[in-house]
Amino acid sequence: MLPPLLLAALPLPGLPGGDGPADARLVRALHLDLLGRTPTRGEWSEALDAPRERLLDRLVGGRSFWQAWFEDELYYFLLIDGFRPTSPAVVEIPELLADGSLTVPEAIHRILLSPNFSGRNPGADTFVTVVLEQCLGMTVQDNPTLLAAGKRMYDGHAVTIFGQSGRGQADVVKIVLEQPAFLRRLAERQWTRLYGALFPREEARRAEERLAADPRAFGEIVREWAGSPAYAERLGRPRAKSPLQLARSLFVDLLDRPPTDEEFRWTRNATRALSDPEPLRAVLSRLLLSSGKAGLPKSAPEDPASWVREQFLRLLAREPSARELRTFVGILSERGSGPSEVIEALVTHPEYGYY
Amino acid sequence: MTVPLPSPRLPRREFLRLTGATIGAAAVAGTGVLSGAVPVAAPKTRRVVLVAFAGGVRSREILDPTIAPNLARLAAAGVVYPETVARNVGHYGAALSIYSGCVEVAGIRENLRGTNPTIFEYVRRGTGIPATQVWLSTTGGEQQVNYAFSDHPRYGSAFGANLVSGEGIFNPEFRGVLEKFGRLPAPDEPREDRLKRLRAAVEPPERVRSVAPNDPESAAAVARYLLDELSAGTSRLTGPGAADAKAFRVGSNVLRIFKPRLLGVSLIQADVAHSSYNDYVEVIRRNDAELGRLIDGIAADPELRETTAVFVLPEFGRDRDLNPRRGLDHGDASEDLLRIALVASGPDFRKGKIVKDAVESIDVCPTIAKIFGVPAESARGKVLKGLLA
Repeated sequence: MLPPLLLAALPLPGLPGGDGPADARLVRALHLDLLGRTPTRGEWSEALDAPRERLLDRLVGGRSFWQAWFEDELYYFLLIDGFRPTSPAVVEIPELLADGSLTVPEAIHRILLSPNFSGRNPGADTFVTVVLEQCLGMTVQDNPTLLAAGKRMYDGHAVTIFGQSGRGQADVVKIVLEQPAFLRRLAERQWTRLYGALFPREEARRAEERLAADPRAFGEIVREWAGSPAYAERLGRPRAKSPLQLARSLFVDLLDRPPTDEEFRWTRNATRALSDPEPLRAVLSRLLLSSGKAGLPKSAPEDPASWVREQFLRLLAREPSARELRTFVGILSERGSGPSEVIEALVTHPEYGYY
Repeated sequence: MTVPLPSPRLPRREFLRLTGATIGAAAVAGTGVLSGAVPVAAPKTRRVVLVAFAGGVRSREILDPTIAPNLARLAAAGVVYPETVARNVGHYGAALSIYSGCVEVAGIRENLRGTNPTIFEYVRRGTGIPATQVWLSTTGGEQQVNYAFSDHPRYGSAFGANLVSGEGIFNPEFRGVLEKFGRLPAPDEPREDRLKRLRAAVEPPERVRSVAPNDPESAAAVARYLLDELSAGTSRLTGPGAADAKAFRVGSNVLRIFKPRLLGVSLIQADVAHSSYNDYVEVIRRNDAELGRLIDGIAADPELRETTAVFVLPEFGRDRDLNPRRGLDHGDASEDLLRIALVASGPDFRKGKIVKDAVESIDVCPTIAKIFGVPAESARGKVLKGLLA
């Protein structure tokens, strides 16, 4: 549970401004958007005690941030499950990004040249189509000449595309990644992760120019976007958690730890396998809560009102209303009731699916 | 990716040879169909099963009774449209086109919802039925989940289907994850009552309004179904084409348990053809066997038998000739690729008929909408002619 002191210090949700401490909604949103999951209890503590700048310093650019970015990119290219890259050159990407010895464009280059990307997109037609579509946002059927030339280059012929000559699969990738549209699309994906909205044209132009001048600026750009007033304003328009965020957050919120790779992979797939994940969330949450691993209080909380308030803040990032508090405390005091029911009710409520 | 319309068709003689030449004589035990919403057009039909026999399957295989005997059985008891045109040769866009009734252009790896409403949304919105009455069982894959509903502002998730990708959830690995945490406690009525009251007490902010396909009651029914299915044999299906087989198995179970008004089954594994023609044929055989189980299940249930219609079609065909790997791609713009076979059988449909006129895969959506008596306002296809008796 959240430490009592933390609870007392927890600011009420609202739109943050200036450099003051982050509120609960902002803390949760930043963790979801930058790490792909809600905060652990320890991270809540740390975040709410600290100025927002320090929170951003901790979240952006660290190993966890780059791991989450890497996972999102693999998902974008649908390199998951059997197609997830296993070669050391790709597996080490988050580590190298974190220590600054690799840039984001270089990381994408490694991913596209992995055998798993070729396996996922076999043959000249599929490979070239996917590289053009995914990296540059092109509609290939509108560019049949380019597609035909790209396919010939893939097949080993000396061909020119985008004004550059090349021969072979690696040259197709190299030339495509050198196009300005690649950097713009790269930035756009990250913008969408943070804002869930269209990338403003002017913002896109600035990001493209900065990345062209310095590919290492990616983390800095993300930090600026996440620390901007526009991001804080975005919180006024709640977004649905993605299946990936939901899968990770359920483990964090109920077991106070992220899922293992295996737990995440299969829970994500199961969550993604349903148009409505709420029924599965009900099954999973009851199972985790009854597993004996959820760290629930053994008996009724000494101060039920504070405890209920703490759960609302931690799981829904808001205070309970007076009526909600009264009802929850009342039911919690009924014979046979217990803390797990309060938590189960909150994480299976549709509101939990938003942030 | 869209392609221009090709000219000629499958010759009647060739079609008759492929289907066993005697359409009309055989009887599929009671695969009738649909709903009471359109008493004049389809008075007996109360339910529709729509099978996207997808992954790219040519007519010469799908209509070969030695490869797909159950489909031939269905064809013999219904109507076959051997000149059905597919205008899109990317799996995602082409299958989505069947559901939306519009030619959908989508990238190979595009993972976004369509903007045109799907047949599932038309039926739910038009009839007011809950999500437990409209299902879609798919093979899996990241894109297929998008078939359940569109981003259309007047439709969308609130009218979506309950989609289950069998391979994604009913597998030994996910069962293993669950088993690590023990067993679910036995149902406890007082506890359920307290939970219900707690959930009802939550007052989400105005800006957070759930638009999930299921209301709380439907969600509870779906949760019970998921638990039952997780402990059933579906998770243990293995081998080539197992993911497609799971889609059929889940579809059959959903049909038996919920008796939905509309059930979609969406396949994809015939696409193994890229690397092996033989594996492609084996996947078709297995899928046909599962189709046989599904239609036998309908025939064995008195209520379903008298009220259920079945539509089966691939999203497109495949190339005419083998590629260098002795497989079949889908990009030569041949008739084999762009002319597919649509089979429909139901209690209000004609029996043993072949309609030689050209129709389109996008005609299925407005036809099903018409059967349910609901408008399919954005669909660009036409209601199939020559279907009703």
